[in-house]
This record gives sequence, structure tokens and C-alpha cells, in this order.
Amino acid sequence: MVNQSSVVRRRSSDSVVGRWSLVVGQILLALSVCFLSEAAWAQGKTLVLKGGKLLTISHGTIENGVLVISAGKIAAIGAANSVQVPKDAEVIDVTGMTVYPGLIDSESYLGLTEISAEGSTNDLIETSDEIMPHMHVYDAFHAESELIPVARLNGVTNAIVAPQSQDTLPGQDSFIQLDGKSANDMLLVRDIAMPLNFTGEQRRNESWEKRKFPQTRMGLAAQLRQAFIDAQDYSERWSDYEKKKSEAPAKSDDKKSSPSPPKHDLKLEALLPYLQGKRPIVLAAQEPSDLETAVGLAGQFKLKFVLNHISHSQSVLDYVAGLKVPVIVGPIYEDPKNYERYDAVYKLPGELYKRGVKIAFASYDAHAVRNLPYAAGYATGFGLPHDEALKAITLNPAEIWGVADQLGSLDVGKTANVVVANGDPLDVKTDVKRVFIDGREVPMKSRQTELRDRYSR
Amino acid sequence: MSRVNTLFSFAVVGLASLQAWAQQPAASPSRNEVLIKNAVVMTVTHGNIQNGTVYIKDGKIAAVGNDVSAPAGATVIDAGGKYLTPGIIDSHSHIALDDDVNEATSPVTPQMMMMDAFDYQDKAIYRGLAGGVTTSLLLHGSANMIGGQAIVIKHKYGASRDAMLFPGAPRSIKFASGENPKRVYGGKDQLPSTRMGNFAVQRAALVEAQDYMREWDDYDAKVKRGDKDAKPPKRDLKLEALADVLRGKLMVQIHCYRADELLTEMALAKEFGYKVRAFHHALEAYKVADELAAQGVAIATFSDWWGYKQEAWDAIPWNAVISMRKGVRVAIKSDSEDFARRLNQEAAKSMRYGGASEEEALKMITINPAWIIGVEDRVGSIDVGKDADLVLWDGYPLSSFGVPNKVLIDGDVYFDRSLPGFGMPRYKEGE
Repeated sequence: MVNQSSVVRRRSSDSVVGRWSLVVGQILLALSVCFLSEAAWAQGKTLVLKGGKLLTISHGTIENGVLVISAGKIAAIGAANSVQVPKDAEVIDVTGMTVYPGLIDSESYLGLTEISAEGSTNDLIETSDEIMPHMHVYDAFHAESELIPVARLNGVTNAIVAPQSQDTLPGQDSFIQLDGKSANDMLLVRDIAMPLNFTGEQRRNESWEKRKFPQTRMGLAAQLRQAFIDAQDYSERWSDYEKKKSEAPAKSDDKKSSPSPPKHDLKLEALLPYLQGKRPIVLAAQEPSDLETAVGLAGQFKLKFVLNHISHSQSVLDYVAGLKVPVIVGPIYEDPKNYERYDAVYKLPGELYKRGVKIAFASYDAHAVRNLPYAAGYATGFGLPHDEALKAITLNPAEIWGVADQLGSLDVGKTANVVVANGDPLDVKTDVKRVFIDGREVPMKSRQTELRDRYSR
Repeated sequence: MSRVNTLFSFAVVGLASLQAWAQQPAASPSRNEVLIKNAVVMTVTHGNIQNGTVYIKDGKIAAVGNDVSAPAGATVIDAGGKYLTPGIIDSHSHIALDDDVNEATSPVTPQMMMMDAFDYQDKAIYRGLAGGVTTSLLLHGSANMIGGQAIVIKHKYGASRDAMLFPGAPRSIKFASGENPKRVYGGKDQLPSTRMGNFAVQRAALVEAQDYMREWDDYDAKVKRGDKDAKPPKRDLKLEALADVLRGKLMVQIHCYRADELLTEMALAKEFGYKVRAFHHALEAYKVADELAAQGVAIATFSDWWGYKQEAWDAIPWNAVISMRKGVRVAIKSDSEDFARRLNQEAAKSMRYGGASEEEALKMITINPAWIIGVEDRVGSIDVGKDADLVLWDGYPLSSFGVPNKVLIDGDVYFDRSLPGFGMPRYKEGE
């Protein structure tokens, strides 16, 4: 079971006053039951993780380090003697432990599903049309999902939540934190990116009997082009309107001369930030032909994009590198095609890294988000350096998703999403002992630990 | 060769009802002598041997230890300090069956033979081999309360069909209960659509088999008495198979999730006098582990897969170790082309979730699944006399980082990572 004996918590202030204030504090806390939850979310107290091996990601490893957390941020970090431990800080001895930034999953379905086979618990994808950019993950995100604490217990603190991939444009991704008072708290970026899927999987009318448009890849591509062209027109209509409005005489009583606004269209409006390059497209393809078609489509509309999957595109990796875009790679456990060697997909992360491509890993799952670090670890057996594997679930995704000023490494000023474990973050044998999100220590409990404790007696 | 044949003849005599295919001898592998030296030998049954050597003769492990010398002419593999484990055994697989896993047209189909669907050229066999799997139990699916009869294969990818069958392996049959049969038949407004229906179907089939068995027993008794007028009952393949269950000639492998169903299945087995060899999935075994241990029923479970359906909602990654600590024999199995490629990693999870020792974790993918399949005296550990099914690892096998370097089956190298193409010395693409 979880052995916490080696992680001893103690207070730096051992004075009588210190103890009294602690007792008084506890009494107050007990009395104000109705404020308990508010108090629990407070980020006021300063925490110090002392004695651990700090994997900073951005500036190497610090043996016997000190990490100071204050007001939810990393306030200081360094070797034992170089960092001053603030007075009255709560010091947590993590000697023998490894400390690293919270892991970031670059594609998950957390909060959109509970039990896969039970349709009533799923809000994964709207399949009434292939073009659904006005679907927003945040409208369905279930903050109280039992899956979230399970993922959190393995050190995953942030994730992209995406709709499933059966649509060409299934909607917009959110970026979440795996702890918070409510969905509003946990949705750090409500619309962060938009998947554009071109893997062949989006063809759903291919049966001859039930055929309707779009039935083929040509159909899907044409449908997509039309959608972006319609959005361009829509944008122009609104620009014209705004222009006319600003040119119209200020006399408000002259109704005839004031222009009337175009009709709102949520679908087309949703595409505008992407046409304007304000947010990235997540361009998914598996095989070289689809990849090149998808990249061509993105180029036609000057979309800013990152690549997703490319699992069977080994033959065009130099081309991929030439695109100078990051790749969300995998899942590396995707079965190889029959013509591929057994390790063709396992090797992709290493091969991309060798070509200078920035990579990130994703679970592409909800229940198995907790296994994210193990996929990164497995890739090290197939040519990806260990530090790069770790980077691909921390700093790289933070950079890819534009949150590196807050997340992805142990650096002063960043959000204190910090994990304490008894070994290598990438190894299946490593037990996560403590997780801090926004500087708050998250209880190491889930529905699963409760079942474990009830039945292992 | 002759020794294998002799051994095998005994097995045939012992199991008269073995199918004809299984009675054919395995194709002759080369009888090279091989010496694997300078390895960390993880024997599974008697600890690790640092700087150990394994001597292989005629496809069997002939010697294991520190002081094993190479006879002249033996092929020497210098392990260079790498870990050597027994071949991984997957006690729940549906690979190499194309889409012919479920005959989902009746909830009772014990006469289905997985051998009839065995696609021995399926690349999944190769991919499992490259993950260190040397033996797999290919089971019928879980659409039916009583499914078909399994086959046991060795992952000798590139060999002929019959050479891939595990010679003399005992017969197993697949049972299933819970959501899957409910969904398959309930969806068609047929019996069973509930768990009551599930077990009513199972009980009815077994009662029918009892009657059938009695008719044949009566007939056999008459013949034995010299009754010339005795007329044999009509043969019924379905009931014949079920009679073999009741006679203990088929090992019963049951797909089952919920704790209450595990109890019901054990009660049914007791009522009809057969033994349950193992519960498969058994994601709630940890709730009734004492009862399973008392009945000597093993489990073949996932490490941490959960939540994919209602009956997997209470699955916890501590299931394997809690059950093991209470005395249940535990195997980690794949039930998937994907997991079959990295069962070592899946087993290592038990070291984290519950603190299994290295040896306990390794047992979950070697000797324990060997017991579930009934071949524990043949494979599953590095012991003298056992088949030389071995995996040489790059990295530590019980971690995220372990990757098979070479895989031997019956003493022959079937996979070698350092080779180009598919990494298979005995197979070339297009052959």
C-alpha cells in the first residue's frame, strides 16, 4: 500500500506560540464548518519541500534540493544551502524522493466520460455532422468525474481535453487543471485549440446502401474547404458591416441609412480565431497520404497547426521535420501495420526527436490518463533519451499549448504543480507520494483507494 | 525428436479425447545445443542467478547455474549481463482468430473449436513474440455463457500451423457471465438478458449434459455387461463437450467480473461437480479473495484497466496483489493484441500497486499463467527439464524500460531485435 513513512511532515516553528496558533487554528477550522471547503482551498501557507532530488526540466537536476511554494507559486528553488527557508513555513522532508513538475497530458477525454459502455455517462463527440467547430468541451466538462482523482494520483496535473475524433472538426479543446473547486476553476483555458482530423476514420457514410455526402476522403476535404471559405465570407460580411456602420451618419433616427448586421452563425464564427491564426489547429493524420492532404488543407487557409498521431508516417519523417511544427506523437501502442516492423510506432518519438522535432505524449484516453508517463518511459527503450521523454510530458506540452510561463518546469514564478514520488517518474514501479496543485496538497485518495482500503483489511 | 514423441504419446494415452490435430507431433525444430552465458538468470522458482548460464539441449533446459560449461560445438550466446527470464505466458488471448472469436448465435456453444479458426500467420503472433510472449491460450469470446474450446500455441511465428501448437497441452473451455451475454442476447430479446437468465441458461445446459452423460454411461454399462441389443444414444457434439466438463476432462476458464458472480460460478461448479480452473478478468476478485483461495481458483486479470463498462467500475489496480496476499494464484493477461506486447510492464505495475516483489510480479506472467493453462510442468520457469522458452532483455524487464532483445522457443531463436526486417532469423517476409 502507499507507504508514507519516508515522507515526514513537520513544522519549522516548534515554539509554544507556534503550537498554540496551530491548535487555535484547528479549533477555528472545526467551528467554521461551513467555511471548511473555502479554507481548504486557501493558498496562503508557505510550503517547503526539502531534501529531494529535483528534476527541474528547464535547468537540470538538483540533488538534495529545496523547493519553496508560496501563494500557489514556486517562490524559490535551489540546492539545500542556497535557498533560505522562510520562517513559519511548513517544511516537508522529502529526502530520498524525486520531485518534478506536474505532468501534462496533450490529449485526454477527462470529464467527458465516466463508464465507456454506458452511453448516458458519455459526452465525447457530436456525430450529427462532420463539421462541428462550435462544440466546446467546456460545456460538457464534468469536474466531479471519478476519473480525475485517479489520474491525479499518478502525477498528472494538467491535460488537454478533446472531443473524440470521428468528426473532421469535432469542436474545441479545453486545457484543464486536475483539481479545483468547480469546473470554472479547473478550466484554465476554455478554448485552447481545435482538432482537425483527417485519418479516414471520419468517413461514416461509406456503406453503399446508406451513402450520402461526404462518403470519401475527397468529400470530407471538399466539405472542410467549403466550411473555411464560408467562414472567410462570413468574416468579410461582418467586416463590411462594421465598416458601413462606422461610416454611417450618427443620426440615429435615420433607420434606413444604418446598415443591418449579418445573421450570426455560431459554426462559422467558431472558425474565425483559427483562420486568424490566433489559436492552433491540432492536425491529425496517420499515414503519409493523409498527412500531406491535411497539411495541404491547413496551408490553403494559412492555419497555424501542430501535428497529431502520424503513427504510420515513418517514411516521411524528414518531411515532417521540415514543417517545423510540434508533434503530439502516438499513441505509441498503436498496432503497427502488417508491413511494418514490430517497433515502427514505438520508435517514432525517438526518430522525431533525432530530427529536431518538438514532441509531446498524450494518453488519448480518460481512464488510462494515469499511464501517460509509462508510454514516455517505453519510448526510451526505442531511442528517445530519458530527459527528452520526461520533457515530452512536462515542458514541451506547456510550450506547445502556450502555458510555459506557468507550467512545465520547476522554476520560480510558475504555478506550484509539483509531484513527489519515490523514483523515476517514467517507471511503472514508481509510487507517487504527494501531489500539489496550485500549491495545495491534494489528498492521495480516489474512489479506487477507498475500495482498496475497504477490502484489503 | 523421439523423446518428444514418447512424451507426447503418454499425453495422448492420458487424454484419450484430445483432438486429432493435437495428436500430431510438433515439426522437428533444429536440435542445436545452445549456451546462454553471463546473464542475470531470473529463474522464477529459485531466485536470480547473477552471472548465470543456461545450457539448452534438444530444445530443453539441460542445466542452469554458475558452473555450467559449454560442450564443444554448442552455440554460445553471450548475454553481456542482460536479464534472462522464462518466456512470457499469456493466459487470455484472442489473437490469430481473425474475427472468429465469438459464435454469438446461441448462448451455449461448447462444440466450437478455436483450432478451426486458428490463423497461424496472423502478425499479432509475431508482435507478441517481439514482446517476449512464447505461449498463449487462445480462447473463445465472452458472448456466450458457455463458449468454445481453446487452443494453446507457442509463438513460433513462421513455423507451420501444427508446429505452433503446444504439444500435449490440456484442453480448456471458456465460460462467461455478466454484461456480455446479457447484451448479446438481451439485445435480440432472447434469453439471457439478465444475470438470472445467465445462470439459468448455464444450469439448464449442465442439467442436459448430466442426462446425456447418464444415457451414455448406461449404454457403456450395457456393453460392458455384454448386452448385444444395447443401442448407442445419438451423439451430440454440444452435450459431449459439456459431459467432458462434468467428467473433469476440460479445464473451465470463466470470464467473470463482479464478486457476486464469482461466488455464483463457484457454487454452480460445486453443484455440478466440476472445478473452475481460473476466473478471467475477475476485476472484483479482491472483494472475495478468501473464497477464491479456499477453492483453489486462480485469476487472470488486468493490471489497471477499468471503467470501460459498469462491471469494470470497481476495478482497482491493487486487485492482483490484494488477491495474491490472500492466497489466490494470480496471472496478468492481455486479452488484447496491444497488452500482449508489453505484459512485462503490466506485471511490474503490481510492484507499485501493492508492493509485489520482483519474483511475485514475474510469476504473474510466467509460472502462474502456465498453471492456468495446465502446462506449469513444461514452461514458466527456468528449470532443468523444461522447454527452453526464454527471453533475453535489454533493460530491466520489470519496468517501463525493458524490451526483449532475443526470444527463444524450444531452444531456437525466433526473435532477435538486432536483426533487420522483422527481426526473425527463421522467417522472411513473403515466405
